[in-house]
Amino acid sequence: MLESRWGYAYLVPALLILVAFTFGPALFVVYISFFNWNLLDPALSHPVGLENFTRLLGSARFIGSLVVSLYFTLATVAASALAGLGIALLLNRHTIGRSTARVAVFTPYVTPLVATSIIWIWIFNPQFGLANAVLSAVGLPELQWLESTTWALPAVIMYTLWHNLGFTVIIFLAGLTTISRELSDAARVDGANAWQELRWVTLPQLVPTILFVVVISSIGALQAFTQFYTMTGGGPLGATTTTSYLLYQEAFVFYHTGPAAALAVILFLITAGLTLAQLRLGRNRGATA
Amino acid sequence: MSSGTSIHSATRALRAAVVLGAAALLVSACSSAGASTAPAASNAAGAAPSSAASASGAAPASASSGGQSATITFMEAMSSGTLKTTLDGLVSQFEKAYPNITVTLIPEPNYATLQQKEEASVAAGNPPTIGQAYENWAATYAASNAIVPLTSYISGPNGVSSSEQSDFWTGIWQDLYLPDGKIWMWPFNKSDYVMYYNQNMLQADHLAVPTTWTQFAAAAKAATTGGDWGLSMNPGTSSAPANGTYMFVSMMRAYGGHLLLNGKPDLNTSAAVQALTLLATMEKEGALKVGTNYPGQTALGAGKSLFDMSTVASYYYNQQAVGTKFTMGTAAFPNGPAGQGNAMQGTNIVIFAKSTPAQQQAGWTFMHWLTGTQQTATWASGSGYLPVTKSGLAAMSSYVATHPYVTIASQSLQSARGVPAQSWFTEEQGAIATALESVLINHESPQSALATAQATSAAAASSGS
Repeated sequence: MLESRWGYAYLVPALLILVAFTFGPALFVVYISFFNWNLLDPALSHPVGLENFTRLLGSARFIGSLVVSLYFTLATVAASALAGLGIALLLNRHTIGRSTARVAVFTPYVTPLVATSIIWIWIFNPQFGLANAVLSAVGLPELQWLESTTWALPAVIMYTLWHNLGFTVIIFLAGLTTISRELSDAARVDGANAWQELRWVTLPQLVPTILFVVVISSIGALQAFTQFYTMTGGGPLGATTTTSYLLYQEAFVFYHTGPAAALAVILFLITAGLTLAQLRLGRNRGATA
Repeated sequence: MSSGTSIHSATRALRAAVVLGAAALLVSACSSAGASTAPAASNAAGAAPSSAASASGAAPASASSGGQSATITFMEAMSSGTLKTTLDGLVSQFEKAYPNITVTLIPEPNYATLQQKEEASVAAGNPPTIGQAYENWAATYAASNAIVPLTSYISGPNGVSSSEQSDFWTGIWQDLYLPDGKIWMWPFNKSDYVMYYNQNMLQADHLAVPTTWTQFAAAAKAATTGGDWGLSMNPGTSSAPANGTYMFVSMMRAYGGHLLLNGKPDLNTSAAVQALTLLATMEKEGALKVGTNYPGQTALGAGKSLFDMSTVASYYYNQQAVGTKFTMGTAAFPNGPAGQGNAMQGTNIVIFAKSTPAQQQAGWTFMHWLTGTQQTATWASGSGYLPVTKSGLAAMSSYVATHPYVTIASQSLQSARGVPAQSWFTEEQGAIATALESVLINHESPQSALATAQATSAAAASSGS
């Protein structure tokens, strides 16, 4: 009993920091989302009820940003899970150069987003970039990439995959070390081929890892900001304006504090809702597996 | 541990992670409001100028503060390279001349951070004494009574004489006013746009340096051959205007258009349509290409494009990009039927209202001193910004001898106009960038794109955001 009291006492400093710098401001954001808030002189602020929310939900820019966020999230989560799993399966084999390959795959993840985003801006430069040089070399038409409303978002997705794939691979590699080798051996003895072993033995045991990757990647994708800020500034014509970027724009470019707070609340609800849905889905699958 | 248990544990851990992550996201939305970026405390009772401290161009400060000392804080973004060393040097000079005034610089890494820190410090009730501010920031601050007008200082004992006023370039002086007709700002770091060109390419095509926008378009078209083109530019986005945005604004003004008419957005005009149509035609002919990350500099430096339309601040970087590949020329922005319409860049200085009267007086003394002839010349030569006065330009002849573009660009300050002093101008600026994107990337008609820009800007103006 005494021990647990001391335990709580040790938690107090961290808890105070969390309350002061995380939970308190978060609650304050919810509060100001119901105001026409004057950042410079809060005395000039006045309550507007749900107006910030209703305006936002009827705004084409907000709906457009949701579509962009959904596109980005689905593409990055699906591609990073599939590619991450594939690469992890390859790197899980005992082959020469495996450690070097693991380091190579993980390295982009530890590079600074801003610095590598700028490098990829050069790669996607329509006149001087590597991407168009490669397309030309294989006889494909050159693209405008970041200057195209069609290709700007896929370009940012490609960069994000390059940057984040290492993390996904490492998680899958960790997951692969926990699965039972006996089951795989038994399956092979029973005549299962490689695909059957993967489909019926490996994947079912990886469900918790897959779930973790999907949830963490989804949260990361919904909150992604730096690459959009650096590579496209939300353009061209809003083609890469995600909900997170719109939040930045409203809060720190236009200084629409009340609407920005309402947007933050909505984004929180979306992120939390999606995550809980994924977890529930994963739990149900786990129960039936 | 069974897999079911591990899923359950993972679920709980993830739930916690979700809550924490989302909370962090929410915090990020208000971090600038909540962050206390209070400047160093200013404990001085009053300004005490030295009677011997008559900086050229700026009269010695009033002795009305009775010899009390004052410490003032200056929040600024001149935080690196020669900007920092030159400003530090000027502050030292000032403190020697005015031993009773101490100036504490609060450097910020860039303008975006500067704005956030200034707003946060005002919201926290602890702003600096003075700070750099764009015209539309000043309008926002004034609307919240966060800054003071300079009228009483200008007409006060350490005020501004009519001869001193006439020494400022016309555009610089006009830039100091807010729409209420009062002066709220004092000039500091100013630049404007010039035309950089590949002299070898121009000569090879037997072309003269264009002096009108029509000639400019013709030269760009003539240069568009064999893998070369006229101009690369960044049109900007709704949240981040770029050089292309300001180039269009300059063109629009040169054709007789305005950003504002009677305090309201005025974008859907024949002048704006003419300017945008010229750019659309250039793009259609392949003479203009859009890009990001200083595309004009990249293309000019690679010897692929004829022009780069950038501020004088780009001179050094353009010269680095060009190297010895060819001769880079500089010229004034072309004229239109209504003359030159250069877009002034850079900030002014404002005095925040929260500081004591003695600090405010000391702040005025410092900012007024900065625009004295010698100080202006020192600042412009050291920083690369333009001299805000004619006498300042005359006092930097040796610098001008090696940087001839300074004369061209300084004289353009006579007609250049800054950012309109309206709190909602950021949205109008974004709407202009969006119109450029619509025309140059999505090939929408200039009329339609400008009509949309006008509607967006008018909505922002009416909501007063």
